[in-house]
Amino acid sequence: MTELPAQAFAVTRAFGHFVAVDQVDLEVRPGEVVGLLGANGAGKTTLIRLLLGLLRPSGGEIRLFGEPPSRHARRRIGYVPQGLGLYDDLTPAENLAFSAAVFGEGPEAAALPAPLRPYRGTVVGALPLGVQRTAAFAEALAHRPDLLVLDEPTSGVDPLARARLWETVAAAAAAGAGVLVTTHYMDEAGECDRLVIMAAGRAVARGTAREITGDTRISVVEAESWAAAFGALEAAGLPVTLVGRTLRVPGVPPDAVRRALGNLPATVTSAPATLEERFFELTLSSGKTEAPS
Amino acid sequence: MTAPGAAGSAGGWWGTEDVCVRFGGTLALDHVWFRAEPGRVSAVVGGDGAGRTTLLRCLAGALAPASGRVRRPAPLATGYMSAGSGVYPDLSVNENLAFRATAYRVPPQQAHERTGELLARAGLDRVGDRLAGQLSGGMRQKLGVIAAMIHRPDLLVLDEPTTGVDPVSRSDLWWLIARAAAGGTAVVLATSYLDEAERAHDVLVLDAGTVLGSGTAEQIVAAMPGSLTVTGERPAGEAGRRAWRREGRWRVWDPAGGDPAGVIVPDLQDAVTVAILARELSLVPAGGEPR
Amino acid sequence: MWAMIVKEFRQLRRDRRTLAMMIVMPVVLLIVFGYAASFDVTTIPTAAAGPGAAQVAHLVGEPFQVVDTEPSQGRAWAEQQLRDGNAAVAVVTGSGRPQVLIDGSQLFTAKAAIAELSAAAAKAAANGAAAGGQASPPSGQAQPVVTVLYNPGLKTSDIMIPGLAGVVLVFVGTIITSLGVVRERQSGTLEQLAVMPLKPRDVFLGKIVPYFVVAALDLAIVVGVGVGLFGVPFRGSLAVFALGAVLFLFVTLGIGVLISSVSENQGQAIQLAFMVTLPQVLLSGLIFPLSSIAVGVRWISYLLPLTYFNEISRGVMLRAEPLTSLWQPFLLLALLGAIVFTLASLRFRADLAPAAPRGGAGSPRSAQKVASAAGAPSRSAG
Repeated sequence: MTELPAQAFAVTRAFGHFVAVDQVDLEVRPGEVVGLLGANGAGKTTLIRLLLGLLRPSGGEIRLFGEPPSRHARRRIGYVPQGLGLYDDLTPAENLAFSAAVFGEGPEAAALPAPLRPYRGTVVGALPLGVQRTAAFAEALAHRPDLLVLDEPTSGVDPLARARLWETVAAAAAAGAGVLVTTHYMDEAGECDRLVIMAAGRAVARGTAREITGDTRISVVEAESWAAAFGALEAAGLPVTLVGRTLRVPGVPPDAVRRALGNLPATVTSAPATLEERFFELTLSSGKTEAPS
Repeated sequence: MTAPGAAGSAGGWWGTEDVCVRFGGTLALDHVWFRAEPGRVSAVVGGDGAGRTTLLRCLAGALAPASGRVRRPAPLATGYMSAGSGVYPDLSVNENLAFRATAYRVPPQQAHERTGELLARAGLDRVGDRLAGQLSGGMRQKLGVIAAMIHRPDLLVLDEPTTGVDPVSRSDLWWLIARAAAGGTAVVLATSYLDEAERAHDVLVLDAGTVLGSGTAEQIVAAMPGSLTVTGERPAGEAGRRAWRREGRWRVWDPAGGDPAGVIVPDLQDAVTVAILARELSLVPAGGEPR
Repeated sequence: MWAMIVKEFRQLRRDRRTLAMMIVMPVVLLIVFGYAASFDVTTIPTAAAGPGAAQVAHLVGEPFQVVDTEPSQGRAWAEQQLRDGNAAVAVVTGSGRPQVLIDGSQLFTAKAAIAELSAAAAKAAANGAAAGGQASPPSGQAQPVVTVLYNPGLKTSDIMIPGLAGVVLVFVGTIITSLGVVRERQSGTLEQLAVMPLKPRDVFLGKIVPYFVVAALDLAIVVGVGVGLFGVPFRGSLAVFALGAVLFLFVTLGIGVLISSVSENQGQAIQLAFMVTLPQVLLSGLIFPLSSIAVGVRWISYLLPLTYFNEISRGVMLRAEPLTSLWQPFLLLALLGAIVFTLASLRFRADLAPAAPRGGAGSPRSAQKVASAAGAPSRSAG
């Protein structure tokens, strides 16, 4: 495949006055996994819908396999939306059969993979979430797509089941598909070859997790009374998170934290930021944390 | 069977003692012991179907167990957020909170102050008149948590308040949760994010209705049997069954603890994965002993 | 496209309620229309008063059926029989021409009676003419004076609008109430309510009262427009009517809550509400008179609350029927109300109180389903 599975060139999409996606560049190459991170309302789902051809851009261009989005391109795409996209009142086998027929695939595409066989006779609505997600993946992959788009594919599932779903994703990428995935699990960012972080419709950071986190550091507070320290920091208007019994303050240097604490007995040190804290900082500094729905 | 209001401020606790819950033929909770203390945040982790929601419903008083004891406060002193926010989508933010405040008999003046304060700190003060159904996911979850804690309950039970929520809103949610704990409330929350569970004071790991582990995150990790190594490829053969993918590489679990070379320090997610895997491979029986 | 067809069939096969509606409904309608739909009146209950009362039975033939004979009573009694719904026609014999009183509020019966009487009069005239003008008319064959009471113009609107009042209450009571309660289940907040310090009774009544108020308002509007615009009379006691309406509302609201307690979403609730409402409209005597519904099917009518409310509303509005003679429908409505309300509260309590879990609403699967149904939209933004 010489053309890239998915490309966005300075894509913009506005709804009235609200700009959901603002001049975003993105590309997905064959065999790579691109992670799209961002707050709710940052524009991730809108961007995905633009890439899939469900929405038309207000500005910029979208290319799927070198062409503008078309029905022909859809045959080469596998999509797992947030709501799974399966029929609750059909069994996995029936769902696969329907999908295979629609994509014009032969009966081998409708065959149930081994992990799903014990559940062949149960309607999807009655299956545990992990099995539902496995079935959704199976359906998206059945027609051997060249582009796989996954919207929060592992939400709510236990760590072992998540690992197994990611095996499937990695296998698809190894077979040559380009994968675009959104997630809220920070450790899954480590599964991606590249990350794009969106905030307020813009792409505010790109690269690997390590590149994005860089040298950012945060302040760590260990106090005798975490509740008192929490109160003091909160009163000073600083963003605080509680981790066990220590407090972490992203985006604020230790001396500022020390000042906010006043005379409270506590030790304030500096530590490397996690990807999540860096993400937090990026989102806050972009000015908007929540967009109107 | 249940003893509402048993814990006082003098070292009391809320939780379950040897609780079993049955749905038809399935055992949703199997001799579960759980303890939540005032001023502490307890996380309940496990996959879908593990029994988290069932346990939380017992604690909140929505479900009575088939056997065992549940220690919980009276309904007026309990706060509960059901999975999926539990707020009315066709009422506004303010209307939802007004309904809760009245139902829990919070005096109007107090309700007004508390509502204003919580909404402001959670960043929802400007959307007071917006319908809850029109809020984004993160904002609705925040509203759900505020609604559950508006009456300063002794026990706050939150079912997956952060699932599907972006990291920024999650941070706000944790602020709310920490605030409640700072005020003396015992907070119990179900979460599927293990890095979040690490932030809680203690953790309960459930799988298929039984307790796989409980204690602080450090204790659970320390109790993990065997050791973990990391490789670039999935090992062949039998070892392959003890491996799983994480962050682009493969973790391999050796139950016997083997060769110290290449061993990594596990985190809570690793320990939980090992516990579930061990259960699957039936190498280690699951236990439900009291702490 | 074939794939879509196959898929829809498979989904349909599992959707029992829709199947029931699509297959059972036409069968039921066929039976109803076969046995029930008839405007033909086969019997006309008749009362006879006055000295010649005993002969009336011999003189009148089918379809008149004498149900009561009181030689010592006169016109006042006869009118009361009509007012109380004991008879549709009353014959008062006395010194002069016999008086025939017909209850105009039973429209089809009245029309049938008038047709019979006209035919008999024509026949008597023909006989008289054929007999060649005998001096004295045969005894009891003097032309009767026919008076139509209560709906002299035999207007359809006069009898329909009291019935419509009942239909309005059925719609608001059943369909809309079932939606309102099911919405709670769909949005996932029912579970939240279960945990709050609210008694199931509070929730139950709190949910019903607004619909009660709206239904009462609707009723007032229908009656007001009927009386004001269409000139439908309201001759009886407002208090009796109101009491009947309140009782009837209890029953229909209770049915609405029952429907919602067995429905998971609004679609199912509407289906069930429709299946419960349609028979009431067809078999309660609103359109087809009860007496012309075949006995084999009529037992269904006697189970329907609207049947009794129709009696009450027509009786009060058109005939000023007092409470004392309406005791039967009132009692039966009260009975139905008690049964439905008890069942509804029990089911409601099962949903809300921390009972030991059963397979149905208490299962983790349904809680999960409810949660994901409510949660999915929240995660799709952004």
